[in-house]
Amino acid sequence: MTKTYPKASRPSLDNVSVSIEKGEFVFFIGPSGSGKSTIIKMLLHEVSPNKGRVIVNGKDVTSMRSWKRPHFRRSIGCVFQDFRLLPNRTAYENVAFALEVIGKTKAVARRVVPEVLELVGLGGKEHRYPHELSGGEQQRVAVARAFVNRPLILLADEPTGNLDPDTSIEIMRLLDRINRTGTTVVMVTHDSNIVNQMRRRVVEIESGRIVRDQARGVYG
Amino acid sequence: MRVKYVLSEVLVGLWRNVTMTIAMIITMAVSLTMLGASGLIYTKVADMKELYFENIEVSIFLDNEVTEQQKADIQAKLDADPLVQEATLVNKDEAYKRFQEMFRDSPDLLSAVKPDVLPESYRLKLVDPQQYKAISDQYTNVEGVDQVVDQSRVLDKIFNLFTAGQNIALVAAIAMAVAALLLVANTIQVAAYSKRREVAVMKLVGASNWFIQAPFVLEAVVAGLIGSVIGLGALIGLKVFLFDGALSALQGLFAPVSWSEVFLTFPAMAAVGGLISAITAWVTLRFYLRV
Repeated sequence: MTKTYPKASRPSLDNVSVSIEKGEFVFFIGPSGSGKSTIIKMLLHEVSPNKGRVIVNGKDVTSMRSWKRPHFRRSIGCVFQDFRLLPNRTAYENVAFALEVIGKTKAVARRVVPEVLELVGLGGKEHRYPHELSGGEQQRVAVARAFVNRPLILLADEPTGNLDPDTSIEIMRLLDRINRTGTTVVMVTHDSNIVNQMRRRVVEIESGRIVRDQARGVYG
Repeated sequence: MRVKYVLSEVLVGLWRNVTMTIAMIITMAVSLTMLGASGLIYTKVADMKELYFENIEVSIFLDNEVTEQQKADIQAKLDADPLVQEATLVNKDEAYKRFQEMFRDSPDLLSAVKPDVLPESYRLKLVDPQQYKAISDQYTNVEGVDQVVDQSRVLDKIFNLFTAGQNIALVAAIAMAVAALLLVANTIQVAAYSKRREVAVMKLVGASNWFIQAPFVLEAVVAGLIGSVIGLGALIGLKVFLFDGALSALQGLFAPVSWSEVFLTFPAMAAVGGLISAITAWVTLRFYLRV
Protein backbone atom coordinates (compact mmCIF):
# COMPACT_ATOMS: atom_id res chain seq x y z
CA MET A 1 0.00 0.00 0.00
CA THR A 2 1.01 3.61 -0.49
CA LYS A 3 0.17 6.64 1.59
CA THR A 4 0.98 10.19 0.59
CA TYR A 5 -0.05 12.97 2.91
CA PRO A 6 -1.24 16.15 1.23
CA LYS A 7 1.59 18.67 0.76
CA ALA A 8 4.24 15.97 1.32
CA SER A 9 6.97 15.78 -1.31
CA ARG A 10 7.36 12.02 -1.04
CA PRO A 11 5.03 9.28 0.12
CA SER A 12 5.05 8.47 3.82
CA LEU A 13 4.71 4.81 2.92
CA ASP A 14 5.76 3.72 -0.55
CA ASN A 15 4.44 0.41 -1.82
CA VAL A 16 4.71 -1.30 1.54
CA SER A 17 3.38 -4.80 1.94
CA VAL A 18 3.42 -6.55 5.27
CA SER A 19 1.48 -9.47 6.62
CA ILE A 20 1.23 -10.15 10.35
CA GLU A 21 -0.13 -13.45 11.61
CA LYS A 22 -2.49 -13.82 14.52
CA GLY A 23 -0.59 -14.04 17.80
CA GLU A 24 2.64 -12.61 16.41
CA PHE A 25 4.85 -10.04 18.13
CA VAL A 26 6.24 -7.56 15.61
CA PHE A 27 8.56 -4.58 15.99
CA PHE A 28 8.44 -1.77 13.47
CA ILE A 29 11.71 0.13 13.66
CA GLY A 30 13.24 2.97 11.71
CA PRO A 31 14.26 6.61 12.07
CA SER A 32 11.78 9.39 12.76
CA GLY A 33 9.60 10.18 9.78
CA SER A 34 10.18 6.82 8.20
CA GLY A 35 6.47 6.04 8.19
CA LYS A 36 6.17 3.72 11.21
CA SER A 37 3.45 5.71 12.89
CA THR A 38 1.50 5.93 9.65
CA ILE A 39 1.18 2.15 9.79
CA ILE A 40 -0.36 2.35 13.27
CA LYS A 41 -2.76 5.05 12.09
CA MET A 42 -3.82 2.91 9.17
CA LEU A 43 -4.43 -0.10 11.36
CA LEU A 44 -6.67 2.14 13.48
CA HIS A 45 -8.48 3.44 10.41
CA GLU A 46 -7.40 6.93 11.30
CA VAL A 47 -5.92 7.44 7.84
CA SER A 48 -6.54 5.50 4.66
CA PRO A 49 -3.97 4.55 2.03
CA ASN A 50 -4.07 6.25 -1.37
CA LYS A 51 -3.33 2.93 -2.98
CA GLY A 52 -3.64 -0.61 -1.76
CA ARG A 53 -5.63 -2.17 1.05
CA VAL A 54 -5.40 -2.56 4.78
CA ILE A 55 -6.91 -5.77 6.13
CA VAL A 56 -7.31 -6.18 9.87
CA ASN A 57 -8.86 -9.26 11.49
CA GLY A 58 -9.95 -10.40 8.05
CA LYS A 59 -11.87 -7.18 7.38
CA ASP A 60 -10.96 -4.73 4.67
CA VAL A 61 -10.47 -1.53 6.63
CA THR A 62 -9.83 0.57 3.54
CA SER A 63 -13.43 0.46 2.41
CA MET A 64 -14.91 0.59 5.90
CA ARG A 65 -17.48 3.33 6.48
CA SER A 66 -16.55 5.76 9.21
CA TRP A 67 -19.64 4.94 11.27
CA LYS A 68 -18.36 1.38 11.61
CA ARG A 69 -15.04 2.59 12.96
CA PRO A 70 -16.04 2.70 16.67
CA HIS A 71 -17.07 -0.93 16.70
CA PHE A 72 -13.96 -1.92 14.77
CA ARG A 73 -11.72 -0.13 17.31
CA ARG A 74 -13.07 -2.28 20.11
CA SER A 75 -11.04 -5.17 18.75
CA ILE A 76 -7.81 -3.15 18.97
CA GLY A 77 -6.03 -1.94 22.07
CA CYS A 78 -3.70 1.04 21.96
CA VAL A 79 -0.76 2.24 24.02
CA PHE A 80 1.15 5.45 23.40
CA GLN A 81 4.38 7.09 24.44
CA ASP A 82 2.47 9.76 26.40
CA PHE A 83 0.15 7.29 28.20
CA ARG A 84 -2.97 9.40 27.47
CA LEU A 85 -4.57 8.79 30.84
CA LEU A 86 -7.33 11.01 32.22
CA PRO A 87 -5.65 13.03 34.99
CA ASN A 88 -8.80 13.49 37.07
CA ARG A 89 -9.55 9.80 37.31
CA THR A 90 -7.87 7.08 39.35
CA ALA A 91 -6.15 4.08 37.81
CA TYR A 92 -9.32 2.05 38.37
CA GLU A 93 -11.55 4.75 36.89
CA ASN A 94 -9.31 5.17 33.87
CA VAL A 95 -9.63 1.51 33.01
CA ALA A 96 -13.32 1.37 33.91
CA PHE A 97 -13.97 4.40 31.72
CA ALA A 98 -12.86 2.46 28.65
CA LEU A 99 -15.40 -0.22 29.51
CA GLU A 100 -18.27 2.05 30.41
CA VAL A 101 -18.10 4.21 27.30
CA ILE A 102 -18.58 1.15 25.12
CA GLY A 103 -21.67 0.20 27.06
CA LYS A 104 -20.40 -2.26 29.67
CA THR A 105 -22.14 -2.03 33.01
CA LYS A 106 -20.52 -0.93 36.26
CA ALA A 107 -20.94 -4.49 37.52
CA VAL A 108 -18.81 -5.80 34.66
CA ALA A 109 -16.21 -3.13 35.39
CA ARG A 110 -16.12 -4.06 39.08
CA ARG A 111 -15.37 -7.64 38.12
CA VAL A 112 -12.93 -7.12 35.26
CA VAL A 113 -10.93 -4.01 36.16
CA PRO A 114 -9.28 -5.27 39.39
CA GLU A 115 -8.36 -8.43 37.52
CA VAL A 116 -6.59 -6.63 34.72
CA LEU A 117 -4.90 -4.18 37.11
CA GLU A 118 -3.59 -7.18 39.00
CA LEU A 119 -2.36 -8.62 35.71
CA VAL A 120 -0.32 -5.52 34.89
CA GLY A 121 1.10 -5.50 38.41
CA LEU A 122 -0.82 -2.57 39.87
CA GLY A 123 -2.71 -4.51 42.52
CA GLY A 124 -3.17 -2.20 45.51
CA LYS A 125 -2.72 1.00 43.52
CA GLU A 126 -6.18 1.09 41.97
CA HIS A 127 -7.16 4.31 43.65
CA ARG A 128 -4.07 6.36 42.86
CA TYR A 129 -4.36 9.23 40.43
CA PRO A 130 -1.97 9.33 37.47
CA HIS A 131 0.14 12.09 39.06
CA GLU A 132 0.63 9.84 42.09
CA LEU A 133 2.08 7.07 39.92
CA SER A 134 5.51 6.73 38.32
CA GLY A 135 5.89 6.78 34.53
CA GLY A 136 6.18 3.02 34.41
CA GLU A 137 3.07 2.61 36.54
CA GLN A 138 1.14 5.07 34.39
CA GLN A 139 2.07 3.08 31.31
CA ARG A 140 0.84 -0.06 33.08
CA VAL A 141 -2.50 1.62 33.59
CA ALA A 142 -2.53 2.46 29.89
CA VAL A 143 -1.74 -1.15 29.01
CA ALA A 144 -4.50 -2.31 31.36
CA ARG A 145 -6.92 0.04 29.65
CA ALA A 146 -5.87 -1.21 26.23
CA PHE A 147 -6.16 -4.83 27.25
CA VAL A 148 -9.28 -4.77 29.40
CA ASN A 149 -11.57 -5.46 26.42
CA ARG A 150 -9.42 -8.46 25.46
CA PRO A 151 -8.62 -7.06 22.02
CA LEU A 152 -7.28 -9.27 19.25
CA ILE A 153 -4.52 -6.78 18.52
CA LEU A 154 -2.49 -4.51 20.76
CA LEU A 155 -0.85 -1.55 19.05
CA ALA A 156 1.98 0.12 20.94
CA ASP A 157 3.42 3.37 19.59
CA GLU A 158 6.79 3.84 21.31
CA PRO A 159 5.41 2.69 24.65
CA THR A 160 8.83 2.93 26.29
CA GLY A 161 9.76 6.29 24.78
CA ASN A 162 9.28 8.14 28.06
CA LEU A 163 10.64 5.48 30.39
CA ASP A 164 14.05 4.61 31.78
CA PRO A 165 15.68 1.33 30.60
CA ASP A 166 14.73 -0.77 33.63
CA THR A 167 11.12 0.35 33.58
CA SER A 168 11.06 -0.20 29.83
CA ILE A 169 12.05 -3.81 30.30
CA GLU A 170 9.25 -4.32 32.80
CA ILE A 171 6.74 -2.91 30.33
CA MET A 172 8.14 -5.21 27.65
CA ARG A 173 7.72 -8.20 29.95
CA LEU A 174 4.13 -7.15 30.39
CA LEU A 175 3.57 -6.86 26.63
CA ASP A 176 5.20 -10.24 26.21
CA ARG A 177 2.82 -11.72 28.74
CA ILE A 178 -0.10 -10.23 26.91
CA ASN A 179 1.23 -11.63 23.66
CA ARG A 180 1.33 -15.09 25.21
CA THR A 181 -2.43 -14.90 25.82
CA GLY A 182 -2.79 -14.99 22.03
CA THR A 183 -3.00 -11.25 21.44
CA THR A 184 -1.15 -9.97 18.41
CA VAL A 185 1.26 -7.21 19.47
CA VAL A 186 2.47 -4.59 17.00
CA MET A 187 5.02 -2.23 18.47
CA VAL A 188 6.69 0.78 16.94
CA THR A 189 9.95 1.71 18.63
CA HIS A 190 13.32 3.41 18.53
CA ASP A 191 14.67 1.43 21.43
CA SER A 192 17.47 -0.79 20.09
CA ASN A 193 18.13 -2.26 23.52
CA ILE A 194 14.65 -3.66 23.78
CA VAL A 195 14.51 -5.00 20.26
CA ASN A 196 17.80 -6.78 20.77
CA GLN A 197 16.67 -8.35 24.02
CA MET A 198 13.28 -9.51 22.84
CA ARG A 199 14.44 -11.25 19.71
CA ARG A 200 11.15 -11.06 17.88
CA ARG A 201 10.22 -10.33 14.30
CA VAL A 202 11.64 -6.98 13.20
CA VAL A 203 10.39 -4.93 10.23
CA GLU A 204 12.68 -2.00 9.45
CA ILE A 205 11.31 0.93 7.51
CA GLU A 206 13.31 3.70 5.93
CA SER A 207 11.86 6.57 3.92
CA GLY A 208 8.58 4.75 3.57
CA ARG A 209 10.08 1.51 2.30
CA ILE A 210 10.62 -1.81 4.02
CA VAL A 211 14.37 -2.45 4.06
CA ARG A 212 14.38 -5.50 6.30
CA ASP A 213 11.89 -8.07 7.59
CA GLN A 214 13.51 -10.57 9.87
CA ALA A 215 12.16 -13.18 12.25
CA ARG A 216 13.97 -13.10 15.60
CA GLY A 217 15.76 -9.93 14.51
CA VAL A 218 17.96 -7.36 16.20
CA TYR A 219 17.92 -3.58 15.91
CA GLY A 220 20.31 -3.14 13.12
CA MET B 1 -26.20 3.31 33.45
CA ARG B 2 -25.36 4.95 30.16
CA VAL B 3 -28.39 7.23 30.33
CA LYS B 4 -27.34 8.23 33.83
CA TYR B 5 -23.81 8.86 32.60
CA VAL B 6 -25.00 11.03 29.71
CA LEU B 7 -27.36 13.04 31.93
CA SER B 8 -24.75 13.70 34.58
CA GLU B 9 -22.35 14.79 31.84
CA VAL B 10 -25.01 17.21 30.56
CA LEU B 11 -25.48 18.80 33.98
CA VAL B 12 -21.75 19.00 34.63
CA GLY B 13 -21.28 20.51 31.17
CA LEU B 14 -23.94 23.17 31.70
CA TRP B 15 -22.55 24.05 35.10
CA ARG B 16 -18.89 24.10 34.08
CA ASN B 17 -19.49 26.93 31.70
CA VAL B 18 -22.35 28.57 33.51
CA THR B 19 -21.90 32.14 32.21
CA MET B 20 -21.98 30.95 28.63
CA THR B 21 -24.95 28.73 29.44
CA ILE B 22 -26.86 31.72 30.81
CA ALA B 23 -25.95 33.85 27.79
CA MET B 24 -27.10 31.02 25.54
CA ILE B 25 -30.40 30.64 27.40
CA ILE B 26 -31.14 34.38 27.43
CA THR B 27 -30.53 34.93 23.71
CA MET B 28 -32.50 31.80 22.99
CA ALA B 29 -35.37 33.04 25.19
CA VAL B 30 -35.47 36.49 23.57
CA SER B 31 -35.33 35.02 20.10
CA LEU B 32 -38.10 32.54 20.85
CA THR B 33 -40.27 35.21 22.50
CA MET B 34 -39.97 37.35 19.38
CA LEU B 35 -40.78 34.35 17.25
CA GLY B 36 -43.80 33.49 19.40
CA ALA B 37 -45.01 37.09 19.40
CA SER B 38 -44.65 37.33 15.66
CA GLY B 39 -46.58 34.08 15.27
CA LEU B 40 -49.35 35.38 17.52
CA ILE B 41 -49.56 38.68 15.64
CA TYR B 42 -49.74 36.76 12.39
CA THR B 43 -52.70 34.65 13.48
CA LYS B 44 -54.38 37.71 15.05
CA VAL B 45 -54.06 39.75 11.87
CA ALA B 46 -55.53 36.86 9.91
CA ASP B 47 -58.40 36.56 12.42
CA MET B 48 -59.09 40.27 12.33
CA LYS B 49 -58.98 40.49 8.56
CA GLU B 50 -61.60 37.80 8.37
CA LEU B 51 -63.69 39.50 11.02
CA TYR B 52 -63.54 42.92 9.44
CA PHE B 53 -63.74 41.98 5.81
CA GLU B 54 -66.91 40.04 6.45
CA ASN B 55 -68.66 43.23 7.50
CA ILE B 56 -66.88 45.58 5.22
CA GLU B 57 -68.73 47.50 2.59
CA VAL B 58 -67.87 49.62 -0.36
CA SER B 59 -70.18 52.60 -0.79
CA ILE B 60 -70.84 54.27 -4.09
CA PHE B 61 -72.20 57.74 -3.39
CA LEU B 62 -74.31 59.25 -6.15
CA ASP B 63 -74.40 62.84 -7.32
CA ASN B 64 -77.24 64.90 -5.90
CA GLU B 65 -78.42 65.63 -9.43
CA VAL B 66 -78.39 62.00 -10.49
CA THR B 67 -81.11 61.12 -13.02
CA GLU B 68 -83.32 58.07 -12.82
CA GLN B 69 -81.78 56.81 -16.04
CA GLN B 70 -78.25 57.03 -14.60
CA LYS B 71 -79.38 55.22 -11.45
CA ALA B 72 -80.91 52.45 -13.52
CA ASP B 73 -77.70 52.17 -15.55
CA ILE B 74 -75.60 51.90 -12.43
CA GLN B 75 -77.98 49.37 -10.93
CA ALA B 76 -77.80 47.28 -14.09
CA LYS B 77 -74.04 47.51 -14.19
CA LEU B 78 -73.78 46.45 -10.54
CA ASP B 79 -76.16 43.56 -11.02
CA ALA B 80 -74.09 42.31 -13.92
CA ASP B 81 -70.77 42.78 -12.16
CA PRO B 82 -69.16 39.46 -11.18
CA LEU B 83 -67.20 41.16 -8.39
CA VAL B 84 -70.33 42.32 -6.62
CA GLN B 85 -72.21 39.93 -4.43
CA GLU B 86 -74.99 42.23 -3.38
CA ALA B 87 -75.82 45.86 -4.01
CA THR B 88 -78.34 47.76 -1.90
CA LEU B 89 -79.61 51.20 -2.71
CA VAL B 90 -79.73 53.53 0.25
CA ASN B 91 -82.14 56.30 -0.64
CA LYS B 92 -82.24 59.74 0.94
CA ASP B 93 -84.63 58.72 3.73
CA GLU B 94 -82.57 55.75 4.76
CA ALA B 95 -79.40 57.75 4.55
CA TYR B 96 -80.96 60.30 6.83
CA LYS B 97 -82.00 57.61 9.29
CA ARG B 98 -78.46 56.30 9.38
CA PHE B 99 -77.17 59.78 9.77
CA GLN B 100 -79.51 60.40 12.71
CA GLU B 101 -78.39 57.18 14.27
CA MET B 102 -74.71 58.01 13.88
CA PHE B 103 -74.93 61.52 15.24
CA ARG B 104 -77.69 61.17 17.79
CA ASP B 105 -75.45 62.80 20.37
CA SER B 106 -75.11 65.99 18.31
CA PRO B 107 -78.58 67.50 17.98
CA ASP B 108 -77.14 70.73 16.50
CA LEU B 109 -75.74 68.86 13.58
CA LEU B 110 -78.94 66.88 13.16
CA SER B 111 -81.07 69.94 12.97
CA ALA B 112 -78.76 71.56 10.45
CA VAL B 113 -78.94 68.68 8.01
CA LYS B 114 -82.06 67.97 6.00
CA PRO B 115 -82.73 64.59 4.35
CA ASP B 116 -82.37 66.30 0.95
CA VAL B 117 -78.73 67.14 1.50
CA LEU B 118 -77.60 63.59 1.99
CA PRO B 119 -76.63 61.75 -1.17
CA GLU B 120 -78.09 58.47 -2.20
CA SER B 121 -75.66 55.60 -2.29
CA TYR B 122 -75.22 51.94 -3.17
CA ARG B 123 -73.79 49.73 -0.49
CA LEU B 124 -71.91 46.84 -2.00
CA LYS B 125 -70.92 43.52 -0.63
CA LEU B 126 -68.03 42.23 -2.69
CA VAL B 127 -67.43 38.63 -3.56
CA ASP B 128 -63.79 39.13 -2.64
CA PRO B 129 -63.35 42.11 -0.29
CA GLN B 130 -59.74 42.56 -1.46
CA GLN B 131 -61.01 43.54 -4.92
CA TYR B 132 -62.23 46.98 -3.92
CA LYS B 133 -59.59 48.69 -6.04
CA ALA B 134 -61.11 47.29 -9.22
CA ILE B 135 -64.56 48.42 -8.14
CA SER B 136 -63.39 51.90 -7.35
CA ASP B 137 -61.59 52.15 -10.72
CA GLN B 138 -64.71 51.03 -12.58
CA TYR B 139 -67.31 53.20 -10.93
CA THR B 140 -65.58 56.46 -10.02
CA ASN B 141 -65.99 57.87 -13.53
CA VAL B 142 -69.43 56.54 -14.26
CA GLU B 143 -72.04 59.24 -14.94
CA GLY B 144 -73.94 60.10 -11.79
CA VAL B 145 -71.35 58.77 -9.33
CA ASP B 146 -69.87 61.23 -6.90
CA GLN B 147 -67.27 59.06 -5.19
CA VAL B 148 -66.48 55.49 -4.22
CA VAL B 149 -65.58 55.07 -0.57
CA ASP B 150 -64.02 51.92 0.72
CA GLN B 151 -63.88 51.16 4.42
CA SER B 152 -61.23 48.55 3.92
CA ARG B 153 -58.68 51.17 2.90
CA VAL B 154 -58.72 52.57 6.38
CA LEU B 155 -58.47 49.10 7.82
CA ASP B 156 -55.62 48.25 5.53
CA LYS B 157 -53.58 50.99 7.14
CA ILE B 158 -54.18 49.41 10.54
CA PHE B 159 -53.33 45.98 9.22
CA ASN B 160 -50.16 47.30 7.63
CA LEU B 161 -49.17 48.55 11.06
CA PHE B 162 -49.71 45.08 12.52
CA THR B 163 -47.85 43.42 9.69
CA ALA B 164 -44.97 45.84 10.17
CA GLY B 165 -44.93 44.95 13.87
CA GLN B 166 -44.96 41.29 12.99
CA ASN B 167 -42.08 41.74 10.55
CA ILE B 168 -40.03 43.67 13.09
CA ALA B 169 -40.59 40.88 15.64
CA LEU B 170 -39.64 38.31 13.02
CA VAL B 171 -36.44 40.14 12.02
CA ALA B 172 -35.52 40.54 15.69
CA ALA B 173 -36.23 36.84 16.21
CA ILE B 174 -33.96 35.89 13.32
CA ALA B 175 -31.17 38.22 14.45
CA MET B 176 -31.34 36.84 17.98
CA ALA B 177 -31.52 33.31 16.60
CA VAL B 178 -28.26 33.90 14.72
CA ALA B 179 -26.67 35.20 17.93
CA ALA B 180 -28.03 32.20 19.84
CA LEU B 181 -26.71 29.88 17.15
CA LEU B 182 -23.19 31.32 17.37
CA LEU B 183 -23.31 31.12 21.15
CA VAL B 184 -24.34 27.49 21.00
CA ALA B 185 -21.53 26.75 18.55
CA ASN B 186 -19.03 28.53 20.79
CA THR B 187 -20.27 26.88 23.98
CA ILE B 188 -20.09 23.46 22.40
CA GLN B 189 -16.55 24.12 21.18
CA VAL B 190 -15.47 25.18 24.65
CA ALA B 191 -17.18 22.14 26.15
CA ALA B 192 -15.56 19.82 23.62
CA TYR B 193 -12.18 21.42 24.26
CA SER B 194 -12.46 21.01 28.01
CA LYS B 195 -13.31 17.36 27.48
CA ARG B 196 -10.81 16.71 24.68
CA ARG B 197 -8.89 14.08 26.65
CA GLU B 198 -12.02 12.11 27.44
CA VAL B 199 -13.16 12.39 23.85
CA ALA B 200 -9.77 11.21 22.56
CA VAL B 201 -9.89 8.16 24.84
CA MET B 202 -13.49 7.44 23.92
CA LYS B 203 -12.65 7.52 20.22
CA LEU B 204 -9.63 5.32 20.81
CA VAL B 205 -11.44 2.60 22.70
CA GLY B 206 -14.34 2.62 20.26
CA ALA B 207 -17.17 4.44 22.00
CA SER B 208 -19.97 4.93 19.49
CA ASN B 209 -20.33 8.34 17.90
CA TRP B 210 -23.73 9.04 19.40
CA PHE B 211 -22.36 8.29 22.84
CA ILE B 212 -19.54 10.77 22.37
CA GLN B 213 -21.83 13.44 20.93
CA ALA B 214 -24.93 12.95 23.07
CA PRO B 215 -23.79 14.90 26.16
CA PHE B 216 -22.80 17.92 24.07
CA VAL B 217 -25.91 17.89 21.90
CA LEU B 218 -28.18 17.40 24.91
CA GLU B 219 -26.41 20.21 26.70
CA ALA B 220 -27.42 22.56 23.88
CA VAL B 221 -30.94 21.12 23.68
CA VAL B 222 -31.52 21.57 27.41
CA ALA B 223 -30.39 25.20 27.13
CA GLY B 224 -32.73 25.66 24.15
CA LEU B 225 -35.67 24.16 26.03
CA ILE B 226 -35.03 26.30 29.11
CA GLY B 227 -34.91 29.27 26.73
CA SER B 228 -38.30 28.33 25.28
CA VAL B 229 -39.84 27.99 28.76
CA ILE B 230 -38.58 31.49 29.61
CA GLY B 231 -39.96 32.64 26.25
CA LEU B 232 -43.37 31.24 27.19
CA GLY B 233 -43.14 33.12 30.47
CA ALA B 234 -42.39 36.32 28.57
CA LEU B 235 -45.40 35.81 26.30
CA ILE B 236 -47.63 35.21 29.33
CA GLY B 237 -46.24 38.41 30.80
CA LEU B 238 -46.96 40.27 27.57
CA LYS B 239 -50.55 39.05 27.58
CA VAL B 240 -51.19 39.85 31.23
CA PHE B 241 -49.47 43.21 31.47
CA LEU B 242 -49.62 44.63 27.97
CA PHE B 243 -52.60 43.12 26.25
CA ASP B 244 -55.00 42.59 29.14
CA GLY B 245 -53.50 45.47 31.09
CA ALA B 246 -52.28 48.55 29.27
CA LEU B 247 -54.06 47.89 25.99
CA SER B 248 -57.34 46.62 27.45
CA ALA B 249 -59.09 49.83 26.35
CA LEU B 250 -58.57 48.79 22.76
CA GLN B 251 -60.09 45.36 23.26
CA GLY B 252 -63.03 46.07 20.96
CA LEU B 253 -60.60 46.81 18.17
CA PHE B 254 -58.39 43.76 18.50
CA ALA B 255 -59.39 40.18 18.24
CA PRO B 256 -58.63 38.91 21.75
CA VAL B 257 -55.57 36.72 22.38
CA SER B 258 -56.74 33.65 24.26
CA TRP B 259 -54.71 31.64 26.74
CA SER B 260 -54.91 28.58 24.57
CA GLU B 261 -53.27 30.50 21.73
CA VAL B 262 -50.46 31.60 24.03
CA PHE B 263 -49.89 28.07 25.28
CA LEU B 264 -50.16 26.58 21.80
CA THR B 265 -47.18 28.65 20.68
CA PHE B 266 -45.07 26.86 23.31
CA PRO B 267 -44.64 23.54 21.46
CA ALA B 268 -43.55 25.49 18.39
CA MET B 269 -41.09 27.57 20.40
CA ALA B 270 -39.74 24.52 22.20
CA ALA B 271 -39.36 22.62 18.93
CA VAL B 272 -37.57 25.51 17.23
CA GLY B 273 -35.33 26.14 20.25
CA GLY B 274 -34.47 22.49 20.75
CA LEU B 275 -33.99 21.74 17.09
CA ILE B 276 -31.81 24.77 16.34
CA SER B 277 -29.63 23.94 19.35
CA ALA B 278 -29.35 20.28 18.47
CA ILE B 279 -28.48 20.86 14.83
CA THR B 280 -25.96 23.59 15.65
CA ALA B 281 -24.29 21.46 18.28
CA TRP B 282 -24.19 18.45 16.02
CA VAL B 283 -22.72 20.36 13.08
CA THR B 284 -20.17 22.03 15.37
CA LEU B 285 -19.11 18.61 16.68
CA ARG B 286 -18.79 17.22 13.16
CA PHE B 287 -16.21 19.90 12.43
CA TYR B 288 -14.63 20.05 15.83
CA LEU B 289 -14.37 16.41 16.90
CA ARG B 290 -14.54 14.82 13.47
CA VAL B 291 -16.65 12.04 14.88
